[in-house]
Amino acid sequence: MKREDSIFSSPGFRYVAFLLLFSITILILTSSCTKKTEPAAPFRATPYTIQIPLHFPQELNIPADNPMTVEGIALGRFLFYDGRLSGRPGPDSLMSCATCHIQAHSFVCGIDHPDFTGGHPHGLTGIQTSHFMLPMINLVWTNHGYLWNGLVSADNPQPALRNIEDVVRLVIELPSEICGDTSRTKAMIGQIKGYPELFYKAFGSSTVTEKNIARAIAQFVRTLISADSKFDRYLLGKIQLSNSELNGYVLFMTEQGGDCFHCHGGDGNPLFTTNLFYNNGKDSVFTDPFDRFSITGSAADLGAYKAPTLRNLVFTAPYMHDGRFKTIDEVLDFYNAGLVWSPSISPLMHHIATGGVRLTPSQKADLKAFLLTFTDSTFITNPAFSRPSAMPDE
Amino acid sequence: MSHIFASGKTFILPILLLVFISCVKDHSLEITPYTQGSIIISYSHKVKGETLKFDTLRYSTSTGNRYQVSDLQYFTSRISLHSLKGKWHDIKMDDGIHYTDARDSYSCSWWVKDLLPPESFDSVAFIFGLDALQNTTGRFPDPPERDMFWPDILGGGYHSMKMNLKWQNDTMPQSMPFMFHLGTGQVYASGIVNPDSIIGYVPNSFRISLPIGLDLTAGGYHQVILEMNVDRWFDGQNAFEFARYPSGMMQNQEAMFRAIRNGKKVFTVKITN
Ligand code: HEC
Ligand code: HEC
Repeated sequence: MKREDSIFSSPGFRYVAFLLLFSITILILTSSCTKKTEPAAPFRATPYTIQIPLHFPQELNIPADNPMTVEGIALGRFLFYDGRLSGRPGPDSLMSCATCHIQAHSFVCGIDHPDFTGGHPHGLTGIQTSHFMLPMINLVWTNHGYLWNGLVSADNPQPALRNIEDVVRLVIELPSEICGDTSRTKAMIGQIKGYPELFYKAFGSSTVTEKNIARAIAQFVRTLISADSKFDRYLLGKIQLSNSELNGYVLFMTEQGGDCFHCHGGDGNPLFTTNLFYNNGKDSVFTDPFDRFSITGSAADLGAYKAPTLRNLVFTAPYMHDGRFKTIDEVLDFYNAGLVWSPSISPLMHHIATGGVRLTPSQKADLKAFLLTFTDSTFITNPAFSRPSAMPDE
Repeated sequence: MSHIFASGKTFILPILLLVFISCVKDHSLEITPYTQGSIIISYSHKVKGETLKFDTLRYSTSTGNRYQVSDLQYFTSRISLHSLKGKWHDIKMDDGIHYTDARDSYSCSWWVKDLLPPESFDSVAFIFGLDALQNTTGRFPDPPERDMFWPDILGGGYHSMKMNLKWQNDTMPQSMPFMFHLGTGQVYASGIVNPDSIIGYVPNSFRISLPIGLDLTAGGYHQVILEMNVDRWFDGQNAFEFARYPSGMMQNQEAMFRAIRNGKKVFTVKITN
């Protein structure tokens, strides 16, 4: 007792006790001021990290309020492929993203589509889309706006037109696509056995909402990454290109050759697009009400469209926003000798002075051989991107 | 035991106070004392003294070509200030590299976070384009810098400048594009412009040094305005004729050389102390 007393009353003990008390108080108070105490988390989706391939951009276009999760992506994949996204159950009125965005065609519908003649899709009511399709490749890096004219963009003053989540709502509402309404869609999906549970796993609530439908689909679309073409493997030093492909590479990358790289990327930009908008010299009269000019109102943007990625070109015919070219050869003939001057032609189309890049037939063949090195077959066969073997209620 | 807590009580108030202060501090602004100076480097673009206007064929060169500017994007690097005490102070932020897109006002103003010594400076120097040592392929994986990449087969790295123009003279029925692009030049063995015959590369970035009167002795923030006089690219000691280079500049070292000679005189500087 005496011993104990002496310890307790010693200055050393008081000091230790003070420190202890001090630290506990700090701990309690700082934790209370840095974060509000939350009840134990009821659910936790598994975070999903995109593995950025070598040479690819580091900045990903993922909105802060829709982090990628394994469960979100899995749900998004079901919805992407589920025709009941139309909100209508009848066999004639099913439509989902995959109705038009078909994996075998790098997520365009394809020029030989049985219903969409010539590769021009139409919605459930038969109204054609205002443009032909864009492939869904590497969209997580799109930084200047989605769609041919960049309408859906981070800098759009309307918050409902900023990212892939917003494209989903457009698809449900547009007369040229589902021509439905989002309440009908969410009611429909909510009734299907299995979905509420998947929504719970992804978002912590089994109530099916328009927002969470959009979030899940957008998450899935962001996983559609192509980085395994022959050219990618060449850049990684794994394989060599053929002589013809190498000649084409030089033509693609040089100003005095074909000069494609200023708009379509290349060794410094493996997306094979800058994602910027140009008038590439197809016409002198512009009648499309949905070109880039319709967004910016700047006369320099008349007849301008997003330069699409050239990845998987071989699967994405027909070409250009209006599908005017059916083959890669037709596209090359156009760049070679078919350019048309207009006041808004891009200043990067400097070959307009001679009507085109004027390649010899063998150079043209080389350039085409090089374009075909952007083919990534693993992308169109990747099981993670394909239709799930069974829908949630099957 | 009770006496421990009793004695502890006397500590509680100061502890609470301390903790409260540390909490508040987290959410308030840190104020750095003004013992050192800081600068904002601004980039402005003029044609014959007038602020550059894009997409309008309103300018003309001394040789009678009318022209318009559609895009103007460039790098400045290794930016440094020379103090009266005889020392160069390199800007360290962002490795001393800045990308400017004249259409994007955000990129035209670079708030340099380096703290500079409280001295007087008599010149500012920088490299137009990326310094040869920094001009390495893959340095910028992300846009907008990424889109300045210079093809590997032509020397790799990045364009120093992309100025996209349209021009017209009296004999031409309509304006024609001209890509006034600077970057690594090539030396071709045969004189024939074929990448297979490249025997050497010319960096083509160049240093510019301009006199200033920048006084940071009292600390505080100051603006260094670098003004590009676009017309001087064409009207310097080597008049630049667009018609002379129908197939562009990227593979023509003579054109690039001519542009650079003019380029050394395109910048002027202003200081707001
Ligand atoms: C009726 C056919 C059709 C359906 C169904 C459809 N799309 Fe599309 N999609 C298109 C067309 C056509 C375009 C190009 C439209 C344009 O830009 O004018 C496009 C473009 C896009 C783009 C822009 C790509 C880019 O590179 O900018 C995204 C993203 C997209 N669709 C997502 C979806 C999603 C998600 C769904 C399902 C919710 C969907 N689409 C359903 C036809 C369709
Ligand atoms: C000034 C920028 C620019 C240059 C240079 C350029 N393109 Fe394009 N390219 C575009 C734009 C913009 C489009 C889409 C135009 C449209 O749809 O109306 C396009 C479309 C294409 C398409 C069709 C892609 C699709 O999915 O529909 C191909 C193929 C193509 N370009 C290849 C090339 C080749 C090969 C070269 C070099 C010979 C080249 N481009 C040079 C801007 C450019």
